[in-house]
Amino acid sequence: MARDPHAQTSSHVAEKLHTKSLTPYILRLAPTIMTDFNIILFMCNWGPHAAFQALQDRSAEIPDEIKMVRIPCAGRISKALLLRCFEMGAHGVALVGCRAGSCRYGAGSSNAEDHVADARGILRLLGLGKERLRLATFLPDEPEQLLSFLRDFSREIASMGSGPVPPSAERQVPAEAPDRVREILAAHDVYACQDCGKCSSACPLTLAGKPFSPRAIANEVIAGHIHFPDVQRDIWACLTCGLCYDRCPSGVDFAAFIRDLRHYLTTRGDPACVAHGGFFQSLMRTMTCNNLRPRHWDWLPKDIETDPDSRVLFFGGCAPYFDVFFRTHLGVRTRDILVDGLRLLNFFDIHPALLMDERCCGHDLLWSGDRDNFLKLARLNVEAIRDRGIEQLITACPECYHTLATDYPREGIELGFKVTHLFDLIEKEVDKGAVSFKKLDRRLTFQDPCRMSRFENRPDLPRKLIGRLEPLSFTEMPDHGASAICCGNSAWVGCDAFSKALQVRRIRQAHGTGSDLLVTACPKCQIHLRCAMEDPFLGEELNIEIMDLTSVLAKTIEWE
Amino acid sequence: MTKTGAAGRRQEIVFTGFGGQGIILAGRILGKAAVLGDHRESTLVQAYGPEARGGACSAQVIIADQAIHYPYVRRPDILACMSQAGFDKFIGQMKQGGTLLIDKDLVQPKGFSGDYFSIPSSRMAEELGRVMMANIIMLGFFTAVTGTVSVDAARDAVMKSVPKGTEEMNANAFNKGCDYGVAVLKGREKKAKGKTGA
Ligand code: SF4
Ligand code: SF4
Ligand code: SF4
Repeated sequence: MARDPHAQTSSHVAEKLHTKSLTPYILRLAPTIMTDFNIILFMCNWGPHAAFQALQDRSAEIPDEIKMVRIPCAGRISKALLLRCFEMGAHGVALVGCRAGSCRYGAGSSNAEDHVADARGILRLLGLGKERLRLATFLPDEPEQLLSFLRDFSREIASMGSGPVPPSAERQVPAEAPDRVREILAAHDVYACQDCGKCSSACPLTLAGKPFSPRAIANEVIAGHIHFPDVQRDIWACLTCGLCYDRCPSGVDFAAFIRDLRHYLTTRGDPACVAHGGFFQSLMRTMTCNNLRPRHWDWLPKDIETDPDSRVLFFGGCAPYFDVFFRTHLGVRTRDILVDGLRLLNFFDIHPALLMDERCCGHDLLWSGDRDNFLKLARLNVEAIRDRGIEQLITACPECYHTLATDYPREGIELGFKVTHLFDLIEKEVDKGAVSFKKLDRRLTFQDPCRMSRFENRPDLPRKLIGRLEPLSFTEMPDHGASAICCGNSAWVGCDAFSKALQVRRIRQAHGTGSDLLVTACPKCQIHLRCAMEDPFLGEELNIEIMDLTSVLAKTIEWE
Repeated sequence: MTKTGAAGRRQEIVFTGFGGQGIILAGRILGKAAVLGDHRESTLVQAYGPEARGGACSAQVIIADQAIHYPYVRRPDILACMSQAGFDKFIGQMKQGGTLLIDKDLVQPKGFSGDYFSIPSSRMAEELGRVMMANIIMLGFFTAVTGTVSVDAARDAVMKSVPKGTEEMNANAFNKGCDYGVAVLKGREKKAKGKTGA
């Protein structure tokens, strides 16, 4: 019988696991089962497994490369887990569940359909090919059908070749560096903390009622308690919004301190606390593969004018991935920001180049502790942009802007091109004159993006442009500019009930201004705030339309 | 604009406004740009008299490829107005199909049915902190819209003609006017193609 011995072990172990603990289990398992040709088969314990057993009983030849992981229900395999397999070098993944209507838990089959559809969308954008992921369903008495599915799938995957992502090696845990924490403390001058508590009294998480205090974290780390579980939990809970830095009389850059502590913890192999099962971190790590050719712009409307020879590049950011991922949940359309950004450039006769295989800027990797992969991405990006002879990069995303303009050079990566935020360019063009804005029948308020308003210290930039619009009114929320409250998450790390509480507070502030349009300037502010509006009890009360400033500008700008 | 075969290109221009706006200086810079920068011929006739102390005031400039024998402007091809009185006085003399440029806030082109170009030059100068530089802004606008002199020649002439220490400021004002003119032309081109918005 030609079968992998691991298949047995894995199904055996998975059986005992509750789905929640699947992630760490598969992570531990993956490096040991990955060989040079791998197909991961997630198989539901019920219908299809009965069929599978029938095949085993008669020693049917199941292709060797198929590594089976037995799971309690196909609906519990999240997008994060599906993508994770590819990040670790799987060549194909099949999720095999029960035929619609025969799911023991009711919603399993339809959940599995949604997850697979979204993950296939992501694989397509990534350039890995959606064909590498398949969903199939079987009844217990369909062993023949199951066998031919497995053989066909295996043959198809083999014909596609091995793909650009190499099987990942086991993570190397570097030797302990006991002085590293002290170095981090010194680098951010945390010893200068006067214990005044101004940070805690400003921190939006503390104010949302979370038993959390930046001052306490600083004290604990100084006292050598970084390995205490509750200290680590708090290190992952911080939003890195930077509000405390704005208030600290000693100038302790707490967000940067947290960023470096996370890196330290991750290199030690301590678990990260990430949102959405680590899907987005997985996505970004997959993008560090040299040979990967994402298809970032395939979907772009045909009337957008670009020029492959231009020395000006428009860098879009990860919005297309967000829209696929949140398709069935939040229904966000952050891609529109990219389209409208390009429309604004076209309005001024700027026809920029695009990197058709654009990758993520790496912001979220850097801020969730994975500096090594951040650096890999950063180098790949700079190399690709320089190879195209680009002189100026334009982006509408505050995170891409801050990361490229400030973090790349700070991390020692020399750019060789200029980075410009779209708002700067539009402000300059509009200031030349002969352009005006149509009346907008809305009352506006504005959510500051932390990376621009605080990290780059430029709360005035979006406001200059808002000042040029012709809305019914523009009213600031009580906390705005450098004092603005965070949208609730950064870098897909540590989202919890307190993040929700602070988002609710923020959205109520927006309603308090009497506005009917919440203008944002970061795709993620839109996503996280929209998420809070999905609250089953408060949703109705919280609901307010959100639109990025880029889109508001594009919809109202006109030649005089 | 005017093309008269063997006589080469020849354009008659009137800059008009009220005293103190720097109208004559604008005319002089324009002529200098044509001669020193673009190596063409130019004449300037300035209207003195009571006008120079706040009334309507004008600079008459002729630019041509060949020697100019008669320096007075009778039928301007281009009329740039920075005051209502100046507009009222000269609009009747402008050539049929000539190019009219006005300051948006100071001039109402009453009774004029043709196409014209306008710029809020005084307001822009105020925003730059020097209302006196409206003439230089208008000159930049004039250069971009009419193409009578080249942009580099005009900018150089501005730098050489303004008081020492104010060159940067004036070059900046010139650029503002020029950018505005380019934007206006671009806007017109887009509108002609039916594209008003983004
Ligand atoms: S605000 Fe600064 S000095 Fe005060 S407790 Fe916080 S970190 Fe320390
Ligand atoms: S960065 Fe933001 S969330 Fe983190 S401690 Fe400071 S104020 Fe609180
Ligand atoms: S706020 Fe919502 S979308 Fe944002 S990280 Fe938390 S759960 Fe995800």
